[in-house]
Order: sequence, then structure tokens, then C-alpha cells
Amino acid sequence: MHRPFQDHSLMLTRRQLFGRAALGLGTASIAHLMHDRAKSHEQDASEGLHHPAKAKSVIYLFMSGGPSHHDLWSYKPKMTEMFGKQLPEHIRDGQRITGMTANQQNGLPVCPSKYKYTQQDNHDRGVWVSELLPFTATVAKELCVVHSTFTEAINHDPAITYIQTGSQIPGRPSLGAWLSYGLGTMNENLPHYVVMHAKSNHAEQSLFNRLWGTGFLSADHQGILMRSQGDPVLFLSNPSGVSQADRRAQLDALTTLNQEQHKQFGDPEILARIRQHEMAYRMQTSIPELMDFSSETEETFELYGEAAKTPGTFAACCLNARRLVERGVRNIQIFHRGWDAHGSLPAEHESQCKDVDQACAALIKDLKRSGMLDETLIIWGGEFGRTAYCQGGLTKENYGRDHHPRCFTTWMAGGGIKPGITYGHTDDYAYNIADEHGDPLFPQPTKEEWTPGTMHIHDLNATILHLLGIDHKRLTYRYQGRDFRLTDVHGHIMHDLIA
Amino acid sequence: MRIRSYTLPLFGLTAILLAGNILAAEQGPTIDFSRDILPILSDKCFVCHGPDTQDTEQLRLDSLAGATSDRGGYQAINPEALEESEILVRLHSKDSPMPPQDAEKPLTANERELLARWIHQGGKYATHWAFIPPVKHRPASGTPAQDTQSTHSESIIDTFVATQLAAKGINFAPSADRATLARRAAFVLTGLPPEPEQLVGFLQDKTAGAYDRLIEELLNHSRFGEHQARYWLDAVRYGDTHGLHLDNRRGIFPYRDWVVRAFNDNLPLDQFITWQLSGDLLPNPTMAQLIATGYVRMNPSTAEGGAIPAEFQMKNNFDRVETLGSVFLGMSLTCARCHSHKYDPISQTEYYRLLAFFNSTAENSMDGNAYEYAPIMHVPQDQASWTGWIDLQAARKSLLTQATDAITVPDNFSEAIVQRWHQSSHEDRLKLLAESAGPFVKTDFHERALEITANLNSARKAFTTTLIAQDLPEPRTTQVLKRGEYNLPQGDPLEPGIVRVMGEFPSGASRTRLGLAQWLTSPNHPLVARVLVNRIWQRTFGDALVRTPEDFGLQGEQPTHPHLLDWLAVELRESGWDLKHLLRLLVRSRTFRQSSAWRQDIDDPQNRLLARGPHYRLDAEVLRDVGLWASGLLDPHMGGEGVKPYQPSGLWFALAHPGSNTKQYVQDEGNRLYRRSLYVYWKRTSPHPMMTLFDAPDRESSCVRRSRTNTPLQSLGLLNETQRVEMARKLAERLLRQVDHTTGRLDLLFTLLACRNPSATERAACEMLLKTMSVRFQESPDAALALLSQGLAPRDESLDIAELAAWTQVTNTVLASDIAILLY
Repeated sequence: MHRPFQDHSLMLTRRQLFGRAALGLGTASIAHLMHDRAKSHEQDASEGLHHPAKAKSVIYLFMSGGPSHHDLWSYKPKMTEMFGKQLPEHIRDGQRITGMTANQQNGLPVCPSKYKYTQQDNHDRGVWVSELLPFTATVAKELCVVHSTFTEAINHDPAITYIQTGSQIPGRPSLGAWLSYGLGTMNENLPHYVVMHAKSNHAEQSLFNRLWGTGFLSADHQGILMRSQGDPVLFLSNPSGVSQADRRAQLDALTTLNQEQHKQFGDPEILARIRQHEMAYRMQTSIPELMDFSSETEETFELYGEAAKTPGTFAACCLNARRLVERGVRNIQIFHRGWDAHGSLPAEHESQCKDVDQACAALIKDLKRSGMLDETLIIWGGEFGRTAYCQGGLTKENYGRDHHPRCFTTWMAGGGIKPGITYGHTDDYAYNIADEHGDPLFPQPTKEEWTPGTMHIHDLNATILHLLGIDHKRLTYRYQGRDFRLTDVHGHIMHDLIA
Repeated sequence: MRIRSYTLPLFGLTAILLAGNILAAEQGPTIDFSRDILPILSDKCFVCHGPDTQDTEQLRLDSLAGATSDRGGYQAINPEALEESEILVRLHSKDSPMPPQDAEKPLTANERELLARWIHQGGKYATHWAFIPPVKHRPASGTPAQDTQSTHSESIIDTFVATQLAAKGINFAPSADRATLARRAAFVLTGLPPEPEQLVGFLQDKTAGAYDRLIEELLNHSRFGEHQARYWLDAVRYGDTHGLHLDNRRGIFPYRDWVVRAFNDNLPLDQFITWQLSGDLLPNPTMAQLIATGYVRMNPSTAEGGAIPAEFQMKNNFDRVETLGSVFLGMSLTCARCHSHKYDPISQTEYYRLLAFFNSTAENSMDGNAYEYAPIMHVPQDQASWTGWIDLQAARKSLLTQATDAITVPDNFSEAIVQRWHQSSHEDRLKLLAESAGPFVKTDFHERALEITANLNSARKAFTTTLIAQDLPEPRTTQVLKRGEYNLPQGDPLEPGIVRVMGEFPSGASRTRLGLAQWLTSPNHPLVARVLVNRIWQRTFGDALVRTPEDFGLQGEQPTHPHLLDWLAVELRESGWDLKHLLRLLVRSRTFRQSSAWRQDIDDPQNRLLARGPHYRLDAEVLRDVGLWASGLLDPHMGGEGVKPYQPSGLWFALAHPGSNTKQYVQDEGNRLYRRSLYVYWKRTSPHPMMTLFDAPDRESSCVRRSRTNTPLQSLGLLNETQRVEMARKLAERLLRQVDHTTGRLDLLFTLLACRNPSATERAACEMLLKTMSVRFQESPDAALALLSQGLAPRDESLDIAELAAWTQVTNTVLASDIAILLY
């Protein structure tokens, strides 16, 4: 197994040793260090980087735009009585709200969800699930539903940048890049960090390369886009007219040329590049094989739904994610856009849920039946939630909701997560995180303090890293004099959620 | 370190342990505080005992005064009785150690020993090296030099390097052969190999100074500025889009073209800095000086619905201050946004004083998703129109001068006309000359004025726009923001100001961006020249002298050759901030001219000793440019709106907001497909994939050092991407047309890409590939045609299809090989 973080740490050590050589302290242990590195290639993924890992792989189902917790997960019957009435002042508690609703003419009218909720059995007190997620409801016993996720950002660009990179301002490595840096790869014939963009009928908010970018980490940790259009991985196919045999002949010549170069200059990078060319050649077989779903059974397609046969759908991405995990890819993200329902929330969310609901459940069931769920962490969620009050005109049938950072729902499953529980409470308006009596908690986490029952996005990220065997405080990279980490100086591991 | 909690018996033990250490410590070599101790204190102690310590009672270890302060009967360092220094006790204390047992970063045994030795040698403090203004030291002795002017400058570089080599008992590597050297110098200076004629001329010129003459040719080529500009554009995060949310188009490419001109014209770097920071504040600023202020406008911006303008006013400014830190100070100031810097002596107040310089610029904090995000100005749209515009200005000036001369000849014109002339502005004088019923209608001035007026008008019509900086008439108030929150200002309004540890604000300078520029370029500034020199070294040698070019602070690396860095920094300033002079010194040095082969006699994988020449993979842009150049496709057109070469379809659309005007990538046609990569359109949220594949940054934030990765996907890009296949085909056509036999064709191919003929092994490998491919394509003409149909450049139909396809495979392979993609 190849582990960039360990390599980097070794480089640092090596650099320090060379630096100290001036002081006469010697460079004797380099060979020893190199030996250690060789050993790390053979390590089992479950050993983890800092502690034993609960999960070997992670599949992040990112609902970009901010799904409405009100219409999917937060059952608040009391809001029904308040239909159209102004949100009580004490609930908002002076919170800043976006420029889109701060001054709207109808104020902040309470907007109960039009959708029916049913309580599903889990291993806890049960969980309420909206009728928009009938399939997800069937796997309630696998889910850990967190009602008390929160963030500080209230607009998409900063919020999505925040949850994916730990900072609202661009320039930091993404969660995926940190994972790539920390986890390395178990299958060198496939990209180690795969990003997919699933189709949506309402792809209304933008995504950015930075969400799977590397910031100041070395660029080889960036997410590799696996696409449904053209080459599944950019530039994978030979130009027309060039067969694999032709390519083999090219690579044989190329290897000779590069070996000549190495003979002359001795730079080990040249040898490394020869290996990369060979790996690329193998990817030209392994990726098409990966993308070829013909070996999947009808039963599997029934599980994921017909849509899984259409490349680029969320269902196809989920099925692909399972195939990737099977092949040892550790780090997969699926971005599904279109959850930013300011105006016609019901129509849009119905369509969005249709895209994702069955496939989410199918992914869990599929991994479970093949025994991989235990070692695969699945995360479902967006960058923030949506408001309890309506944006624009409010009727029983149609409404919109603005961005809401103070609480939103995220679920996790598999990979060391406690199955079948809910975590955290919100007040009667799902506006504030609350204690079990409904009294608001107003969490203000600091480096030392964390409010039980809450999960800041830094806590979520710390927990993801933890489950994969990484200590979020120790996975660092020194840049501009500072040992940066994904969670900055924050983050609390959510031990309550861990099995 | 507030409680002394050790017990007496343990103290005895500690004392014994200490006694052993004292002996060891006293025998050790002399400690250099700045080099040996400060990095340890910074990394391991300052988190609690550093500049950011909130608690006034807390011990501070970032100054001698703090370290020797009375802690109630004891001192961390006791200069009177060093052995009683509390640091010594706590370093080795079992029950109350420092750093505490649960510290995130414990001390290593070696660090303990160094700290102990430091205390025993007196516990003296000194300023971090990078905060002391550089002086020229004598190479061997390290003492300040008086007579360096008389010493041959480039050999000075070698003397500094040789000193360290001698200490290791080794010498310079032998010189690279001349052809390789020509290739190396051409890549470093212009980003392309030497032209074949240039190479031949150089190789045939056996007279002294041949290499120097080659260097001059390269420095004076317009490609020089294009290549050097790239590095600057990375640092200032130049992009063609706003960067946030919609990531719409933004009109600021005239700034990019100005940077190219500035380097080609060798604009002194102090002016280069001043214009960018404050061109608008100079008296009667020129168009060029105003274009340069695009630097101030380079921060990514947004107009996201619901975003709060006051918040983005601050976010934009954070970005500017922090970029200033990276670009000019070689230091992150980011920590100080929320609290005083943990490591470097930069306070939160100083951060906001710096921010105050930028807080009064006139643009809205939200960009309105507008291409013309005001303030803007109208300017020529590319280099040719710029030159045309400058020529027109000169013609106008010359006309007006001549007319003035003529008018002042007595009796030529009536008194009234003479008076009117003298009272008119330049603009009006030209109008007067051009007036159809005016007093000059019969003179030859009239015709010329008409022509110039017409030309000026048509030039203006073709103008584009560019973002510039302007200040508000009344400055905005700046205060410290608690935790960096825009809505939590605290304390008194701040006057713009600088970081005290980096020298004085120039006396008499205004508290504006102009004053800021004067501070940065003042002779006593400890950092700016060093930081610039370091990056110039980095782009010449592949790695910088300070291997952390983004961090000259306490946590950064020490320079590999401190006195060399300082010498060059002073030399840059003394030369009148002359970039070409500095580059000349570097590439003429023996250090640069060494063979790049790794040496068996030393273990120095990172070449920190500089005991061999540079060896690294070329940047994304260069890889593309070399192929375009070798194939003859390269379009020499300079400047203008970013170009859009081939790109796999759907990349932008998959990410973009439906309202974005960059959601569709509309590929260019014709020559625009073949411009230098400097001109490739830079969409910040999704730059060209062949750029990011080879480590180009996204330009959303400052980048002063690119990574150099080595990935399988790069192999796929090199061999399969449309433009690379197209350039391989055009290169094959060139070989087939120019030479009529395989040997000569391979010679030409290798000469273009490696400045030499192939070795026997290389030749055999290429011939073997050629043979295999010839057979294959003779059997499958359809496959040959398919391969030759990549890219829009027309195929030379006079050439045999199978032969051309086979050669295309050869050129594609050699273009992807380390022969072509490395600097060596």
C-alpha cells in the first residue's frame, strides 16, 4: 500500500536530518527510514494511519445546495398549527439571515412541511422519515441520523467550501485530498480518489474544482473525475487509430528512452515515471472494466432501479461506487446538485429524492449483502439546511426555503458507525439545536469545549478521519510555517456515534 | 510554567541528570540562536509561550526580556546563574516537564540537548535572520565585505557555493556540454528550447563570450517576458474569471500583458512593485501604471445572492493582505487575522493596519457578476495594439512639438491664434490642427493631425477594458475584528501601517498604498529583495535557496546558502532592481552550468549543496509550448483575451451554475488554438485540465511554488490528449518534409527536443517503433487516417498516410519522454 502522508513525514524527517547534518549529528538512519517506508506498503488498511481503522473506504453522498431537513428528516408537528404565522422572535434569536429573505415583505412565515412522516423502527427510539424517502426508510436500522449538524456559513460558495475544505475561503486541501494524503491507495490500477457528478434536473448551484482540489498539498492528491460523458477518466482512451498493441509498442520505446535518460542523469524520478506510464497502461484496461456493468445481475439493477443503467445518474454513480470499493478504491465522492430550493421546493425536492432515494438504500443493502458495509463508511448530507420559514409565497402546496446553517440533518452508515440511531435534537421549528426538552443549546464550540448533542461540520470531518484510522489532529501538512489540518484548530470526534 | 511542583529528591535526580548534560553541552559546537534554537522555540514552545499569549501573566519565550523576567524568585533564563535557569530544570523534569507530557509536539532528545547547550552558552537571544536586513558578506570568512564591487559577480555565486562544497571535501560537477547548456538556459529564460539556427550558431562559435552572447539573445527575446510572467501570475493568482459562485468572466487580461511587457522592458522591480500596488496614486499616472493596479483587484470575488456586502468587503481584504504576505514578505499573515501570530512577531493589530491600506479601494465588495467590475479603464487589447498606441502617442507628441515650434516663429500666425494655442490642452491643440476650417488647414500639420486623430479614434474603438484600483475620496474606517469576524470590530480606528519587525515606515511617506510600496521597496526592508531573489533562484535552479519560498518566518526552512541569498538580495537592489542583471548572474555562474547528473560521491538527493545542475520536470505550460513550437504550430501572437484550445467537452458545464456565463466552453478556432499556454483562458473554478494535470494551481489563492507530481494520469494526458496528438502529427510532417531519410529525421527530432542527436540505443528504439507502426498502418490505412484526423490543423496531403501515421506515433512518444519533458 502506498501512503503519501507517511512518505511526506519521512521526507520531513529526512530533511531535518540533512539540516542537522551541519551540526554533526549524522544521517545514519536514512536507510532505516526507507526500510520502514517499504514496510508500510504491505500494511493492511485496517491498521489505520494512527489507530486501527473501522472503515477502509468512504463513500460521501454530497447533496449540494442544502437539502431541506424539514421535508425529509425533521418531524415537527407543532409547526402545522403555526402555518403562515411569523416565526417567533425568540426562535430566531437575532441570527443573521441571508439578503434573500432578510427583508422580504411577508416577513418570516412559518412553513410546515407538506409531507407525511412515518416512524421507522431502528435500534433506538425509532426515526421519523418523510414520505419523500420511502426507500431510505427501509434501511433505517442501518442509519445513524444526526439532526444537529451545523455550520456558520450561510451562502453556498463559502458553505460548501467550508464543509469540504475546513475553511470558507478557497486555498485549503479538500477532505478528499486529506484522505488521499493520509490513506494512500490499495489499488494502483485505479485512481485512489474518485469524484462523480450525478445528473439532476435542478443543477442550480455551482461546484468548484477546489471541492476535490489539493490546495497546498501535492497535486497528485486531487480527486479524479469519473465522468459519464466521453472518457470516464480524462484522456483515458487512445486516440482513434491507436490500438492497445500500438500503445504497447509506444510504451516499450518510451521506456527505453527514459531508461537512457536515467542512465545519464540518475534521477530516481525517471524510474518512478516509467512505473507511472505502466500504471496508466493498466488503467486503460481496469477502468473500462470497472465501468462495464454488464456483469451486474438483474437483481442488482432492481435494487438500484432502472436509472442505474443510464450512465451519470445518481443510481449509476452509486453502483459504480460499490464497484470501486470492491476494487479497493478508498475514497469516493458523489456530488448531486439541485437541492437549493428557494422557490418551488416540493416539485424540486420530489425530483431530487427520486434521483437519490432508491440508490442510497440500494447502496447500503448491496454493501451489506456482500459483507462490505462494515468497512465502508457512507455519509449523506449537504452544506447546510433550509429555513423553517418560507421564502417567497407560502401556500399549503408550494413554498420555498432559504439557507439555514444552525441545524441540518446528515446521516451516516456502515464503517464503524452505530447503526439505527438518531442523534441530537432540535426545537419545535427545527431552527435551533436543542436539548431533549427542546430548549436551544446555541453551541459555540471552542478548541476545548464541545456541546454534547451537537455536530459541527469540523466534528463531522474529525469523525470521518477517525473512522478511517486517522487522528485529525495529527494528519498535518506544514505550509507557510503552520501545520495545517482539515479541521483547523477545531473538531471533536463524535464518539457517541461510533460503534 | 507557573507552578514549581517538583519534590526535593527528584530535584536531586534532575540535578544529576543535568550535570551529565552540562558536560556534553559545553563540549558541543557554538549555538547559533537564529538557526538552531528559534525554530525549536517557535515550533514547540510558542503555542503557549509565544507572541499570541493572551494571558499577561504567562511566561513569554519570544524575547530575552520575557525569558529573563522574574517569575517569583526564579527565571526561565537566569543570566546571572545559568545553571539555575528554570528551562534547564523543566527540560528534564519527570513530574513537571515542559513541554507538558500531553503536548501535541514533544521535544526530541536532540532538541533538549540543543536547548540545554544554548542556555549553558549564555542563553542569548538574536533576531530571526529574515528580519535583519541583508548585507553582503565575504564568501569565505562570512564577514561583511567592502570590496565586492571589484569582484566578478557571477564568480561570487560560485565562491559561496564552493565554500560549502569544500567543507564536504567535494568540488563542482563538470560542466554540462554546450548543447545541453544552451537548452537549459533557453528553457530557464524563455520557456522554450533554442531555435535550431541559434543552437548551431552557438555551437559553432568557439570564441570567448559565445555563451554570454546566447544569454543576451535569450534575455532580449520577447518570449522572455512571456515565460517570466507565468511565475508572477501564479503568485498574484491571476485568473480570467471572478472565482467565486457564478465564476463569471472578468476583464483583466491587459494586466497579464502588462506583466509580460514589464519583464521584456526590464522595468526595475521596485517600480514593478510600486505600480502594481499604487500606480493610481502616482502623480499623473500613465495608462501602464493604471493597468498595473490590476494587482489590487486580483482577489476572487462573488455576487452570490444573499451574501452580505460588509462580510465580503472584509473577505476581499483578508485575501489581499494575505497575498501581499505570500508575494512580497514570503510569509503567511493569515494567523494574525484572528489572533496575534503564533510564531512570528506579527500582531493582530498590525494585520489590520496592513489591511487598512486596502480597505478604501473604490470597487463594490460584490462584483455584480460583471465583466466590467468597476472601476475599469479602456486600454489596447493586445501587445500589437499596445505598441500601435504608444507609437501614436509618440507621433502626436512629435506633431504637437513641431507645431509649437512653427507657431512660435514670429509672424507665421496671428497673435490670437498663438495665444489660443498656448492656452489649449494637448488634446485641444490636436483638434485645432485638425479643424476643417481652422487656421492650420493649409499647413501640412493639418493633414497629419487628421490622420493621427483618425488613427487614435480607431485605436480607441478597438480598446478593451481592464480592472484597476482607485481609492474612495473618504477612507473607510478600519478596526481590529475580533476573531476575524466582519461584524465584530473592536478598539479604535486604525491608521494604515506596517509590520514593525520588518523595519520602519519610510519617513514622509503617505499612509496609502503608495507609502506601502515605498516601504516594501525601501533599502532597509529585510524581506522583499530576499523573497524575490529566492523565487528567481527557484525558477532557475528548480528549487529555491530557502526551500520554503512561501515561508521565511520562524517555522520556515533556513536558507541552504544564507550569505549567497543575502548577497544576491543586496545585489538586486544595488543594480537598480534589475531582473535581467540578476538572471544573467545566475545563468552565467559555474553553479548553473554544472552537469545535472546525480553524483555517486555524495548523498544529496535534494541538491542542497548545489553540487550538480538543475534537473526537474518542466511546467504544464512549457510542456504544451514545446510541442507547439517543435511542430511549427506555435502562434507568436502576443496578448489579448484568453484562448480556448481543445478541452474535453462538458467539463465546465458539469460544474457551472446555470446563470454563469462560463458554463459553456466554446473552443477557439484557427491560430488561437496554438497560442502560448500563458494565454490559455484561466477559469478559476475549473482551469484547463492539461494545466492542472501537471500541477498548475487554480489561481484562487497565491502560489509561489508548484508541486511536481508524477502520476499515471499524466501519462494518459501526454499520449492521448487531442492537442498533443495534433502537435505530434505536425511535427512528423515537418520531419518528413524537411529531411528525406530516417536517420536525419531522428536527428532533427532529437535536436529540436534535446539539442542533440539520439544515442544508438535511442535511435534503435525509435526505429523499432517506426517499423512496427509502419507495418501496422500499411495494413490498416483506416487506422492511420483516424489517427491523422485528430485536431483541426489541416493534414499535409502530399505525404503518405501510413508513413505519416507511423512517424506521428514516434513523435508523440518522444514528445512524452523524459528527453522532452525534463529540464536537465
